[in-house]
Amino acid sequence: MIRTFYDEMYDAGGIVRPHYREFARWLGEAPPELLAQRRREADLLFHRAGITFTLYGDEQGTERLIPFDTIPRSIPASEWRVVERGCIQRVKALNMFLADLYHDQRIIKAGIIPAEQVLANEQYQLAMQGLNLHRDLYSHISGVDLVRDGDGTYYVLEDNLRTPSGVSYMLEDRKMMMRLFPELFAAQRIAPIDHYPNLLLDTLKSSSPLDNPSVVVLTPGRFNSAFFEHAFLAREMGVELVEGADLFVRDDRVFMRTTDGPKAVDVIYRRLDDAFLDPLAFNPDSMLGVPGLLSAYRSGNVVLANAIGTGVADDKSVYPFVTDMIRFYLDEEPILKNVPTWQCRKPEELSHVLANLGDLVVKETQGSGGYGMLVGPAATAAEIESFRARLKAKPHAYIAQPTLCLSTCPTFVENGIAPRHIDLRPFVLAGRETRVVPGGLTRVALREGSLVVNSSQGGGTKDTWVVED
Amino acid sequence: MRLSISHETTYHYDDQVRASIQYLRLTPHDSERQQVLSWQLALPRPVRAQIDPFGNILHVLTLDEPHEAIVIGARGQVEIDEKRESEHESQSSLPFLRFTRLTEADEAIRAFAVAQTQKRTDRTALIDMMHALNEHITYTPGATAVDTCAAQAFANRAGVCQDHTHAFLACARSLGVPARYVSGYLYSDSSEHLSSHAWAEAWIDDAWYSFDVTNQLAIPERHLKLAVGLDYLDACPVRGMRRGGGCEQMHAKVVVSPSAPIAVPAAKKKPVPAPMIQVQRQG
Repeated sequence: MIRTFYDEMYDAGGIVRPHYREFARWLGEAPPELLAQRRREADLLFHRAGITFTLYGDEQGTERLIPFDTIPRSIPASEWRVVERGCIQRVKALNMFLADLYHDQRIIKAGIIPAEQVLANEQYQLAMQGLNLHRDLYSHISGVDLVRDGDGTYYVLEDNLRTPSGVSYMLEDRKMMMRLFPELFAAQRIAPIDHYPNLLLDTLKSSSPLDNPSVVVLTPGRFNSAFFEHAFLAREMGVELVEGADLFVRDDRVFMRTTDGPKAVDVIYRRLDDAFLDPLAFNPDSMLGVPGLLSAYRSGNVVLANAIGTGVADDKSVYPFVTDMIRFYLDEEPILKNVPTWQCRKPEELSHVLANLGDLVVKETQGSGGYGMLVGPAATAAEIESFRARLKAKPHAYIAQPTLCLSTCPTFVENGIAPRHIDLRPFVLAGRETRVVPGGLTRVALREGSLVVNSSQGGGTKDTWVVED
Repeated sequence: MRLSISHETTYHYDDQVRASIQYLRLTPHDSERQQVLSWQLALPRPVRAQIDPFGNILHVLTLDEPHEAIVIGARGQVEIDEKRESEHESQSSLPFLRFTRLTEADEAIRAFAVAQTQKRTDRTALIDMMHALNEHITYTPGATAVDTCAAQAFANRAGVCQDHTHAFLACARSLGVPARYVSGYLYSDSSEHLSSHAWAEAWIDDAWYSFDVTNQLAIPERHLKLAVGLDYLDACPVRGMRRGGGCEQMHAKVVVSPSAPIAVPAAKKKPVPAPMIQVQRQG
């Protein structure tokens, strides 16, 4: 058999990698009935905790359990330290890019990124032009999506600087593993992650110039697919969970309605897209936002985390420039690699993409969640032709990348254990300093051969271990 | 030319409004073309001015005591430099290339823009396009609503200044010309058109040039600019929300008149305190 994928647990010769030895030994000794019983227990516990997620494009609006796999994804600490430095480097550069873009635009003047690429981008927010933010931070919470190619090299697939989600699964997956298999955590040193809510609260507080600012989590409401996470994080941080209607603006200040009367709000961890924040400034049909919020924000009386207008930095059409941003702002070589990307808006790159559609992954520059994406090698001829037509009609709306192999990790499937493709989303918190809790969220594509790990596309999650080696 | 403006907007509600908030873009600022001699807003309560994302002067009026009516008054005098055809600006014009829901260019609009200009983007070509749009979309009050988009007005061939402007923006942007919505006042000796008016500006040769599709004017000699934006929603004089109140009746009265400089001696340039109209009782 020819091995084309990098497996996290086994090396090319089929030998267990050192950082998985302890787990493999335990797995070999554990009776299969016990494992099966623990998996059923996990399902039950997740159901009871209400950890569900609503599937878009499903007419019934079905709430689904995100499948949880009990075989962890493990990363040796020495390897993690490189990934961690790479993520921090990247988020620093992206924050500097945003501060530059909304002020002096040095990177445009230096000819590194074309003006039109960013300024005519829908995600570029005029509301941010010239506005000064505390600590010059725009993306306080970032999710960096990483995958590994055939030789194990880490690549950044995309940056998530708007409202990155999934951290509640990271935390719940760990709680579940510790509850089901405490013996595993006694046998080896696995880096803890349960301090994430504290770090998040600290990050949010440090985003305000005030000494002890009042923080709230703003959710679009219980019909949002990530509502569970919004409620979870508010509870874990011990702050209020609010909807737009719970807040109001008076004289450029934001207040929360409480039974004791209005209470001033200083920091809003908003899990609501820019377009819905203020119906008087953005989408007028938004019933989810707070009328007047933009005026309060621009007056400097409230902090939004993340800031408005971060989408211009994680837009897929801007992604190809991130490595140059790192060189430009930090004068450093990028620690993590970008996936080579063809920009379909360029005619010569478009013709290459059209000629090789069967081998490539094509993505919408504005898309997310794995919707509106073509995986060439897995697509039918009809799907490829439909994408060809879309590409020709709107080339600027697409980018294309080679189909990466994506590493695999052993996963429980119907007939035992089999390798399934995975990715990794570490969560980067930028405040007084920039920090990452060890690991992140590992998503796994449960269908055999599938490279799409998004939970909306039938992906599951795994606990992610950083193991001292 | 010196213009005197008196603009009063009254909102009456069937029921009591519990709370309301309005974004007001009713204050002009000085520019190469216009000099504000005096300006006064009459609001139910004092409000601090701020600058909005487009550089417009914005007042945010929040009322959280129950009220049944809101009266918003604006009045003042502005000197217009009739000879100036364009205005410069240091901010990049590129953000004004993007389409919005109200200015999306559909196939029909794209084809129209290309047919009218042969893809030329100089001022003469855009003036020709302005005339053609005026002919294509007949000025018809009542034919459209405040949320009608460019493509709808273009397809139905009827609309008002807002629709003319949105259609022009869609055409210009589809040709790769940055273009923006202007809200303001127009002095017109005929009473055919509303004095509260909208027109477009397009970025040509590093300056903003005006295109008033409704009046087929490319030189804005009688136009007083209040605010600019990507479309109506960014620039409109009043954008508000309220809780409660039931149905709403809105009355706007605008009087724009030329005032000969000689008739207004310098001493009278001082702002006259406008009557403060109470729409709520305090205390």
